[in-house]
Amino acid sequence: MEPTTNRAAWDQAHARVESALRGAGVAQCADLLQLEEVRVRFLGRKSELTELLKSLKDLPLDDKKEAGPKGQALKTSFEEALEARRATLEEAGDAAALAQDAIDLSLPSVRPPRGRLHPLTTTMHSIADIFQRMGYSWAEGPFIEDERHNFSALNIPEDHPARDSHDTFYLSGLDRLLRTHTSTVQVREMEKPGAKNKPLRVVCPGRVFRHEQIDATHSAIFAQVEGLVIDEGIGFADLKGHLQAFLEHLLGAETKTRFRPSYFPFTEPSTEVDVKCFFCPGTGCPACKHTGWIEILGAGVVNPKVLAAAGWDAEKWNGFAFGIGVERVAMLKHHVRDIRDFYINDLRFLKQFDEDLV
Amino acid sequence: MKISSNWLKEHIDLGLSAPELSAALLKLGFEIAGVQRLGPTFSGVVVGKVLAKEKHPNADKLAVCVVDDGDKQWSVVCGAPNVAAGQTIAFARIGAILPGNFKIEGRKLRGVESQGMICSRAELGLPKDVDGIWIMGEGPALGADVGSLLGPADDVLEIEITANRPDCLSHRGLARELAAALGKALKPLSASVAETLSDAFPVVVETPNACPFYGLRLLAGVKVGESPAWLKTRLEAIGLRPVNNVVDVTNYILHDVGQPLHAFDADKLAGGKIVVRRSKAGEKFLALDHKEHVLPEGLLVIADAEKPVALAGVMGGEDSSVTAATTRVVLEGAYFAPSEVRRASQATRLRSDSSYRFERGADLEAARWASARAAALILQLAGGAASKLSESSKPTAKGVSIKTSVARLNAILGADFKSEEVLDALKRIAADLSGNAAEFTFTPPTWRHDLATANDLAEEIGRFLGYDRIAYRLAPLSPQAATITPVEAASRRVRARLSALGLTEAYNYDLLSEKSLSFARLAADGLPRIDNPLSEDWAVMRPSLLPGLLKNAQHNLSRGADAVRLFELGKAYSQKDGLASEQWRAAGLLLGPVLDARWQPARSPRASFPDAKAAVEALLSGLGAVAWAKPGEGAAESWVCDPLFHPTNSLRALLDGKPVATVGWLHPRAARAFDLDREGAVLFEANLETLASHPAPRAKFQEFSPLPVSRRDLALVVDKSLPYGRVEETARSCGIAELQDLSLFDVYEGKNLPEGKKSLAIRLTFGRSDRTLLDTEVAAFVAKIMTALTEKAGAVLRG
Repeated sequence: MEPTTNRAAWDQAHARVESALRGAGVAQCADLLQLEEVRVRFLGRKSELTELLKSLKDLPLDDKKEAGPKGQALKTSFEEALEARRATLEEAGDAAALAQDAIDLSLPSVRPPRGRLHPLTTTMHSIADIFQRMGYSWAEGPFIEDERHNFSALNIPEDHPARDSHDTFYLSGLDRLLRTHTSTVQVREMEKPGAKNKPLRVVCPGRVFRHEQIDATHSAIFAQVEGLVIDEGIGFADLKGHLQAFLEHLLGAETKTRFRPSYFPFTEPSTEVDVKCFFCPGTGCPACKHTGWIEILGAGVVNPKVLAAAGWDAEKWNGFAFGIGVERVAMLKHHVRDIRDFYINDLRFLKQFDEDLV
Repeated sequence: MKISSNWLKEHIDLGLSAPELSAALLKLGFEIAGVQRLGPTFSGVVVGKVLAKEKHPNADKLAVCVVDDGDKQWSVVCGAPNVAAGQTIAFARIGAILPGNFKIEGRKLRGVESQGMICSRAELGLPKDVDGIWIMGEGPALGADVGSLLGPADDVLEIEITANRPDCLSHRGLARELAAALGKALKPLSASVAETLSDAFPVVVETPNACPFYGLRLLAGVKVGESPAWLKTRLEAIGLRPVNNVVDVTNYILHDVGQPLHAFDADKLAGGKIVVRRSKAGEKFLALDHKEHVLPEGLLVIADAEKPVALAGVMGGEDSSVTAATTRVVLEGAYFAPSEVRRASQATRLRSDSSYRFERGADLEAARWASARAAALILQLAGGAASKLSESSKPTAKGVSIKTSVARLNAILGADFKSEEVLDALKRIAADLSGNAAEFTFTPPTWRHDLATANDLAEEIGRFLGYDRIAYRLAPLSPQAATITPVEAASRRVRARLSALGLTEAYNYDLLSEKSLSFARLAADGLPRIDNPLSEDWAVMRPSLLPGLLKNAQHNLSRGADAVRLFELGKAYSQKDGLASEQWRAAGLLLGPVLDARWQPARSPRASFPDAKAAVEALLSGLGAVAWAKPGEGAAESWVCDPLFHPTNSLRALLDGKPVATVGWLHPRAARAFDLDREGAVLFEANLETLASHPAPRAKFQEFSPLPVSRRDLALVVDKSLPYGRVEETARSCGIAELQDLSLFDVYEGKNLPEGKKSLAIRLTFGRSDRTLLDTEVAAFVAKIMTALTEKAGAVLRG
């Protein structure tokens, strides 16, 4: 390159560039495109300013010391002017864009498809989960059962009126029936290889079948959660303790209960458990049939005949068992009036059970 | 069972109001279904006489009557068709109050002043006899208060007696229970009859085990007629219709002391004798229900010399029943074994108050004295004379003694009741308790069949002393980890995955109608059937969950839904070689827009095959090597639900050659059957038990490369019929380890393509974890893949 030989020439060039920059019209640039053109013209590799700064290296050292900052200042102030203009233009542009881009924020949301669990699933889980936290294992068994598991092993002999409360569906041509309660699972658990004469704690949720006319409060197919505890030295007081704890978890710590005598062939003593009506202050309402109490579960001390039938040492081992209807709890919890609603699968019904979403 | 408070008072004085009595019974384990107040619940009603009846001038169905109430005459408008001059009637004066707090006022009816009301029995809250007003008959004096004529009001309790307590199925029985529980005394009971007749009626019992005691007493010179008012009131209070003084006494004694009795007309019994025997096959029996029953062999019957005259303990026969013409009565008092009576009742579908008690267990010792009490009452009401009892044997009830201790009873209850309290309570049930707290022997009374073990006695203690006195104990039990079953674990996983995909859970019944199966073109053979279905709708066990979901879709569409996304977990059933089996399944159905965003149609296409496939892939993930095949391809067994799927637009997932799931379009013919044509429903069903037996492996983190990858897009032109899967398979089988991903991003058919061709655009992603790939390397990979695609899939690059 041709060296710029002396300081005077450089100063001249500086004055020329300075004047050119002043006339560059940065403040007049109407948009970012024009501004970029100006920037390239005055700051590009072949621009006069770049040439001026490059030529600094050919000056004598003393001159360089003085001219260097001068040249640099020229560049810096031009860059600042460019930046100031850019900011102004961008802000104006943003303002225009913001005005332009306004959308209707009141339009409805668009959600990914959303599934819900059936209220009977969530209710069954909420019941079983409480017992699981108390150390009960989840157990299941077949829906198609034999007479022994459903009846005789549970001290409900043939030709006994106790069978009247278990109206049964029988299968054609087979010696089989549809289980009327999940106590069948308790029998199967007691008879499992290796289970005999050891502590046992199971909860048996599942579907059961009763040959009953269907109406708003009766379903021929419904779900139960039954439970069984066998251990040494336990009795009715333990049943009361466990069920009280369960009901407080299920319905709230302030839940009041009433244990009254009842009869089930597979438990002795037997009890039915009522909770103080939570729809009225105990004064009576349709939900509690004007009694102030709501029947919630059946329970009792395992009848030693049942233990013996399963091959246990009934002298040494005691237990208690209970059963609760899932639909009934779901109806109370969600204010459902007709049990059939659970099995129609109308989406307007199913959609309402949202808080239990997984 | 109905219990009349007034009747109960004949056996025990409790001094309890109806609500107090209800509460006491509930504490003892007897639920009260309702309490009904009987008798006069009205005031101001007097005996009146209709002096004259004229037609109402302005109404065809009304009459204007002149009524004399013994004091004055009144003009009364009456609408009853049976009102006539000369009748004695119940007249509600102005100011009278009828049940329901209905106040009688003078008012105009169709323009005629009515100064009171002529009442029907129903309007007075009394059991109805005829339609229209109550015609009282001659006797009561004009102006007498009708309420006082009827006697005191009565509270009738409807009590639910549990199956173990037949001893409480009578007024005496319940009084006995209350006496024991509350420590009160029972009133004495007379149970003897003057046996002045020398004749006797012979009895032969062929089956002493089924009938341990049978007693007959002949009553001669009996005059059958109407029962007196007190007896009718008793029976009517508990809902029984009076018949005649002999039949009414047997019904009365049943509800009084719990012993069922039967009265025969002695002159209608052939051969003058009674035989207790088993029925012969095909023997005919005309029962009191006016129906002829053809008996199977072996039921316990009471027969005369020729034929059965009663089904033992269940029901008497029409031919030998006591009628107005009867003069000689044979009164049966017996004990029949519970299982015998139940079997006969079930075989003939005949039920009675008698069978209800016998099948639960009567009191063997009561048969003798209760029949004497009945005989005495019949003689009192119908005259005549009674013979001695002809007995099959002396009744001997063998009570099983229970040997136990107070400590044992307290252990069963987890209670700490004092010995005196416990023994005192038990002595109130059976006085002859022997021994002490450490060991005692309890012999239950003959009517308590439910007491046989220490647990039974513990329940008595709990009932009498109160369950509320037993503590809540939450003692630590043997430590145990709570587990869940594999099926439950899989169910939870499946529910989470399917609901996350937007499917809502449904619950359908396990039973279907045969019609709905044939509707869906599913075979009904090979399915378990219900022997005693509630209705035709519930005849067969479902072979698949899909018919239920299709019905749900139809239901929801017909009620205005435009999208249905449902799934269900449940059991499907089959039957083979006399063996019924059940299998957990998961099934689903999708139909209509996938998003609830109708105002953004571009973002909400209707559910189609890939949506259902996504659901099935979600179920099967973690299962291992699943092969896909079209139904009919491969040797796998078929599923009963297969006919619901479109024959070509559906796929089956196979694991080890066995079907685990089917997914696809709904078959058009099934779509038509469920009104789902043109809805484009897609559905799936999977074997949940296979999923349960392959638990999801725990996620294991794999390091990913920090280096950039290279992507290449290819637009391929292939035959229209070529499945995309072939392209992917071919590309992946080129042996290029650097091919990290392959995805489809466009499928195009139509303009600018040769006839019979389509375009598939795929994106290939290459990379290595140790270094960045060179452009030349990537180009070589693409070329290799392209060559394979051309050779094996006939693909060319789109120009």
